[in-house]
Amino acid sequence: MNSPTPASPQSPSRNTEPTEPTETTVPLEIDDIQGGALYERPSPYVGTYLLLQIHEPADGRELIRRLLPLLEPGPASTEPRSGAWLTVAFTYEGLTVLGVPQESLDSFAPEFRQGMAARAAELGDVGASSPEHWEKPLGTRDVHIALAALAPDAADLESVVARARRAQEEIPGVEVIWRQDCYQLPTGRTSFGFKDGIGQPAVEGVGTPTTRRGEPPIKAGEFILGYPDETGGLAPMPTPEVLGRNGTYIVFRKLHTRVAAYRQYLRDKARTREEEALLGAKMVGRWQSGAPLVLSPDEDDPELGSDPGRNNDFGYTSDLRGFKCPAGAHARRANPRDSLDHEMSVDVRLHRMIRRGTSYGPMLPEGVLEDDGEDRGIIFVFAGAHLKRQFEFVKTQWLNDGIFIGAPAEKDPLVGATDGSGAFTIPQHPIRRRLPDVPPFVVTRGGEYCFAPGLRALRWLAELT
Amino acid sequence: MGSEASSRPGVRVGSTSEFSLFFHVKPGHGEALHQALRELQDAPGYRPGDYEMPIASIHEARFVPFDDDTRLLFATSFDGPWDAYMEDFAAKPLKLFDSIFQHVVGYEGLPSLQAVKDFILSAQQTAGGYARNYGGTVKEIRKAITVNDAFQEVLDDPEAADALQHPALRPLLDVAAD
Repeated sequence: MNSPTPASPQSPSRNTEPTEPTETTVPLEIDDIQGGALYERPSPYVGTYLLLQIHEPADGRELIRRLLPLLEPGPASTEPRSGAWLTVAFTYEGLTVLGVPQESLDSFAPEFRQGMAARAAELGDVGASSPEHWEKPLGTRDVHIALAALAPDAADLESVVARARRAQEEIPGVEVIWRQDCYQLPTGRTSFGFKDGIGQPAVEGVGTPTTRRGEPPIKAGEFILGYPDETGGLAPMPTPEVLGRNGTYIVFRKLHTRVAAYRQYLRDKARTREEEALLGAKMVGRWQSGAPLVLSPDEDDPELGSDPGRNNDFGYTSDLRGFKCPAGAHARRANPRDSLDHEMSVDVRLHRMIRRGTSYGPMLPEGVLEDDGEDRGIIFVFAGAHLKRQFEFVKTQWLNDGIFIGAPAEKDPLVGATDGSGAFTIPQHPIRRRLPDVPPFVVTRGGEYCFAPGLRALRWLAELT
Repeated sequence: MGSEASSRPGVRVGSTSEFSLFFHVKPGHGEALHQALRELQDAPGYRPGDYEMPIASIHEARFVPFDDDTRLLFATSFDGPWDAYMEDFAAKPLKLFDSIFQHVVGYEGLPSLQAVKDFILSAQQTAGGYARNYGGTVKEIRKAITVNDAFQEVLDDPEAADALQHPALRPLLDVAAD
C-alpha cells in the first residue's frame, strides 16, 4: 500500500527506526531475572504447579527465603540444582498479605490489581468459562503464591515435591491449596495433537537465536520490567524499583480442551482422513507436526515441523488472502507477523507474548471420538511486561474478535470465546469453504494474574516486616 | 481541552466507533496548518477520487479548522475499540499526520508513550450522538464493493439471466432485477 506518507515522507516504522544508543546498551541483568520467563526448559519435562495460601505473613517470607537459593536465573541447566527448575510468582493478594506497602501495591498494573477473575467479562470468560464455574481456589482471594516446578523426569520432580512438603511442615503458615501436574511430551504436542510453543519472540540481549529471519529481536523491556521497550520508553514499573526491576507479569490459565468434540467436529465436516487433517491444520495455521501452512500448504511435512531453524521462518505477505493459511487460523491470529504491517493501524511488535504452556491430563488416545470424561488441556502461561497490551489485547482483539481480519462475527476457532454460533472461513479455489457453528473447544477452568519478581526483589520481599 | 474524565471509548455502532479529537492550534500557525492540510489532500489516498487511505481501519478522516483557525477537529470512524489501539497509534498513524499535528498545542514530537496518551486523551471527546447508515468494517465494505462490481459484470453478460436460474444462485437472482 501507499506507505510513504503525505505528512511525513519517511514514515518511520518502529522496525527500522534508529534507536538511541543508550537504549540498546542497557544490559539485561540476567542473573537477577527468574530463568523461566526468558528461557525454555529442555523438553520433554514433567512439572507441577502449586498454589499457596499464606496464613502467616512471616511464614510466607520464610518460604521466599528458602526458595531463593533454589531459583536459577539464566538458561536452564541440564541438571537443575534442586532437581527442578522453579519459578515463583505472586498474586496481588499475595503481595498484600506479605506486607508490601499500599503505595507500592498501587503502583502495579491495574489489571494485575484487579485479578483475572475480575477481568472475565473483558476476556470472554463467560458462560461455562465464567469464574463462578472455575475450579476452586482459582480466581479467589486465597491464591497468594504460584510456584511452578518443572523437572527432567518424574522421579526428580517427586523428590523435589517431597522435599517441599517437608519444608512446608516447618512453615505451617503457608498452605498448598492447589496442585496441578503438567508435562510436555517429547513431540511438543498438546491435547489437540499439534506441536505447540513455536514462534516465541526472540528477545534482545537474551542470546536465544532468532528463528525468523528479518525479524529483529523484540526489546527486552517488552518482557522484563526496567528496560526500554518497543515504544522506546519503559513499561510502567511497580515501585520501589528494587521490587519492580527485573520482574515480569505472568498470566496463568488452566484451559480444558474438549478434544473429543473437536475431533468429532472435524470428522463430521470432512469426507476423508486427509481432509480432516487439512481442516485441522487450517484451523491452527500449522500441521500437527508444527509445519506452517504457509511453507507447506498441501500436506504435513514432519521434517519441517520439527526443524526449529525453519518452522518459524516465514511471514504472511505472500498469502494475504489466506489461501494457504486462513487469516482466522489460530496461530495467525495470535501472531499475525507481517500480515497487518501494510494497514498502518497496528504495530504487531507491541503485542508479542512469551508463552510457557504445558499440557495436563492424559492425552485422549488417537482415533477416539467419544469423550472419556478425563480433564485434559493446556496450562497457558504468558510472561510479559504489559498485561493489557500484550495478553489482553491478543485475547480480546485477535482471538475473541474478527474485526481486524474483516470478519467481525468470527472468532479464533480453537480458543475464541464463542457460544458455538461462529463460523470459520477457509479461503480456497474455486470457492471459499465456511465451517458453520464452530463449538467451543476450550473451557477456562480458572487462572490468575501474577507477578514474578527478580531475585533482588524476592530478597526485598523476604525482608519485609 | 477535554478532561480525561470525559474521554472514553467512542460511541460504537456495530464494529465501528466514532473518534473525534479537538485540538487548539498554536498561535500564528493557522496558515501553516492550512498548507499542511492542502498537502495532505494532494497525497495518495487523500486526492479526489482516491479511496485507499494508508490507515486501513478508519472509514474516513476529516480535519476541520474552526474558530478562526484557532481550533482543529480531527474526526473519523474506527473499526474496533480505538482505546485498545492507543499505543499503536504512536507507532504509525500519528506519524502519518505529523506535519499537521505540529501546528497544534501538545504535540511536541511525542517523546514518550505517556505523551501520546496525554495528547490523545486531552483532545478526545465522545460524541453526544452517532449513527451509521451501513454496517461493516472497512475490510468488509471493500470486499462488498469488489463482489458487487464482479456481480454487475456478470449481469452485463447476455447469458447471465439464464445462468442465474440455477437454484444455487437464487439469492443473487433475487437482487439482480435492478
